[in-house]
Amino acid sequence: MERFVFDSKIKNVLFGFMGLGVLCLAITFFIDDELHTRFWTNFLHNSVFFTGIAFISLFILSAFITAWAGWYALIKRIWEAYSLFLIPGLVLMLIVVIGLWGGFHHLYHWADAEAVAEDSILLGKKGFLNKGWYTVGTLIIVGIWIFFATKLRQLSLREDENQGMNFAVHRQMRVWAAAFLPIAGFSSAAIIWQWVMSVDAHWYSTLFAWYTGASWFVSAMTLTIMTLILLKNLGYFAKVTPEHLRDLGKYTFAFSIFWTYLWFSQYMLIWYGNVGEETIYFRERLDNYPVLFFGNLVLNFVLPFFILIREDNIRKYGTMMFASAFVFIGHWIDFFLMIKPGALHTAHETLAHHGATAEAAEHAAEAGHHAASTFEIGFTVPGFLEFGTMLGFLALFLFVVFRNMAKAPLDAVNDPYYAESLQHHA
Amino acid sequence: MSAVVSPIREPLITGGKSYHQITEDICSPTERTPTTAWVIAFILAVAGLAFYVFCVGWTIWQGIGSWNLNRTIGWGWDITNFVWWVGIGHAGTLISAILLLFRQKWRTGVNRAAEAMTIFAVICAGQFPLIHMGRLWLGFFIFPYPNTRGPLWVNFNSPLLWDVFAISTYFTVSLLFWYTGLVPDFATVRDRAKGLRKRMYNVLAFGWTGSAKHWQRWETLSKILAGLATPLVLSVHTIVSFDFATSVIPGWHTTIFPPYFVAGAIFSGFAMVQTLMLITRKVLNLEDYITIEHIDSMNKVILLTGTIVGVAYLTELFIAWYSGYIYEQFAFYNRVLGPYWWSYVGMMSCNVLSPQIFWWRSIRRNILITFLMSIFVNIGMWFERFVIIASTLARDYIPSSWSYYTPTWVEIGLFIGTLGLFSTCYLIFTRIAPVVAIAEIKSILKTGGDQYVGPNAHAHHASEQTTTH
Repeated sequence: MERFVFDSKIKNVLFGFMGLGVLCLAITFFIDDELHTRFWTNFLHNSVFFTGIAFISLFILSAFITAWAGWYALIKRIWEAYSLFLIPGLVLMLIVVIGLWGGFHHLYHWADAEAVAEDSILLGKKGFLNKGWYTVGTLIIVGIWIFFATKLRQLSLREDENQGMNFAVHRQMRVWAAAFLPIAGFSSAAIIWQWVMSVDAHWYSTLFAWYTGASWFVSAMTLTIMTLILLKNLGYFAKVTPEHLRDLGKYTFAFSIFWTYLWFSQYMLIWYGNVGEETIYFRERLDNYPVLFFGNLVLNFVLPFFILIREDNIRKYGTMMFASAFVFIGHWIDFFLMIKPGALHTAHETLAHHGATAEAAEHAAEAGHHAASTFEIGFTVPGFLEFGTMLGFLALFLFVVFRNMAKAPLDAVNDPYYAESLQHHA
Repeated sequence: MSAVVSPIREPLITGGKSYHQITEDICSPTERTPTTAWVIAFILAVAGLAFYVFCVGWTIWQGIGSWNLNRTIGWGWDITNFVWWVGIGHAGTLISAILLLFRQKWRTGVNRAAEAMTIFAVICAGQFPLIHMGRLWLGFFIFPYPNTRGPLWVNFNSPLLWDVFAISTYFTVSLLFWYTGLVPDFATVRDRAKGLRKRMYNVLAFGWTGSAKHWQRWETLSKILAGLATPLVLSVHTIVSFDFATSVIPGWHTTIFPPYFVAGAIFSGFAMVQTLMLITRKVLNLEDYITIEHIDSMNKVILLTGTIVGVAYLTELFIAWYSGYIYEQFAFYNRVLGPYWWSYVGMMSCNVLSPQIFWWRSIRRNILITFLMSIFVNIGMWFERFVIIASTLARDYIPSSWSYYTPTWVEIGLFIGTLGLFSTCYLIFTRIAPVVAIAEIKSILKTGGDQYVGPNAHAHHASEQTTTH
């Protein structure tokens, strides 16, 4: 049976990129403002992004098992390995939690007791936005996800030994997969409000959780396409054909449009309602982050729409690699845009209140004149340090994924849908 | 070579049908004289339709004053019914377009009837905005066209106008999609008929001959229409949700409305498909085509969408508190514990709590419980719209203008009347068209028939071979 060999050549490349990531984080830390805002936002951004990809991969697996999908059986080991990144993902998020308790960062306005005391809106949210809930929520919710990820993985491996027409293991998988779906629905919303939406602590949107979920979904699909093509080039997954690629491409296409639909719904309703407390979120981004604001739509909608709508493109490995890379970066930028503006604003406010005198005056001016153009590398647009950090996190993600992939055969030959997947053509 | 089918899949056509048997089973109901049950049902439906016409006449003659709309409630049962019917009209296109894209073979058993239901439901929905105009004969004012009415011109900024475009587009595409599917089946009916009947079905089938070229064009057209219909499934109810969400009324102005309305619409649409299919399969003896597997799958969709709606309800409640916006907080407090608390309870229990029994396979496959649940969901989804509309409007910003709204007999009559209109259309449909798509069922026979897949496949297949040899 085909097995993935995680050889030292790949390892060294990944170590190299991880080193780059650490180096970038270190440089960011030392050139940063005194709150280390750029460092911590980069850390939170990448941790949430890659943990989310792991979570949504588990969701994808569960949805496919529940819907009796057949085509994906050949490549399901990729998603199994992705979902296991939830364990290091929890560690990453716990570092943010430690930072929260230790006061090492000012990512969240609501974590600043003094600011909350004089802010009636934040006082009203105190029952949800507090360090305790953040910690417990992260631990319990990601813990539950890890439980389901390892459970499904175990059953999937047990299926490898379970030959013949007895589908007992698969029926068990169906139960666990179906149970995960509603849990994923509720828990991902609860945790994304804490992790990301509360960066803009005053602002709220009911659609936010589904919007981020769609963004994760497309990120996971594009990363899957890239990993698959990479592994095919290394000689693995020989049985995977352009037909499977096409299905992955269709999901990328469909969910890119779905993401755009949610983006539009959220933007349109807030724009139309024109309530100041809500529009400020987009006002800030339109005024100070116009390149990313519109770039987000170009990369995540215009580009995949026009490339993937063509039947011939969607079967080509080269084109799909190219398109996936852009869309992947697009969604990474989407999360960048969710986190950076709010955190920068909080940092300005905090520094204006407590910072060293000279710098404080400067920040007070910035906090006061928000509409004024204030270009800051690493916030207004991602700089080299941000991309370096992202490559480091990506290498860590792939390292964990490849390690897990090497532990089991790549072919789940006893999956009841294996034969269907082998013959798949759409 | 037929496609490989996983041994874990259950058959979708039972009874070891041959191609000829399928034609016989599905065409014959249109060739027999109607049964007594059908006649009784038809009389009841037409009576409902007549009552509808009467209530419309009454409304127009007496004016909208014959409804109990009052100072804050400018919309009541009419918009509730409108949204309810539009929502029901979602399942057909979802089944025919999105499930086609997902290659879900079980759709072939139910798509024809579901699409028909969609069209009739949209017709019912379209009645309410027109009647609400009061002066029905001025209904054409909603279309933007050069005219001499001076400043009386449509408001392109209004989601109500977008509704006009969204629903008419949806209706057109759904109708085309449905009819395209019917063309080869009408030809099948024609080929079995004689005389005038044959000539009529020949017209309906556009002279279909079944040549390779016909099939090729038919496939292409179906694919294009599926592509066009897929975004429409989302857009229609999205725009219906904009009717509410673009306002700044607490409880309406919330960003989750578009996808949540779509999920709710699919939920209610599947419930109505379930209600109709359970009766149809029994009355027309189609249990081999609309099997327990189909019912099981649809119940899963109901459970899924019901739970999505549940996530949305709780998200709304939570964010209302989280927003720190006191009017929003009051709106939701009022929804749950205000004078309309009973409708909130009805909504929650019918839409979110009761569908949870479908976690058990034996219940998903129990026909009686499924039927009762489908009615429950229909009621629950009606309550959802009533909760959103009435409980919000009854108490606006100024407590002195708070009121309580109850419908008049005319408003109730209009609702019951549209049920009559809907049933009349559906009953006529079952008489003239094959209620299961013959051509599409035949296309899955080799991969879904119980002589080819499932536990009895080999034994059955072997015995069949011995008998034919």
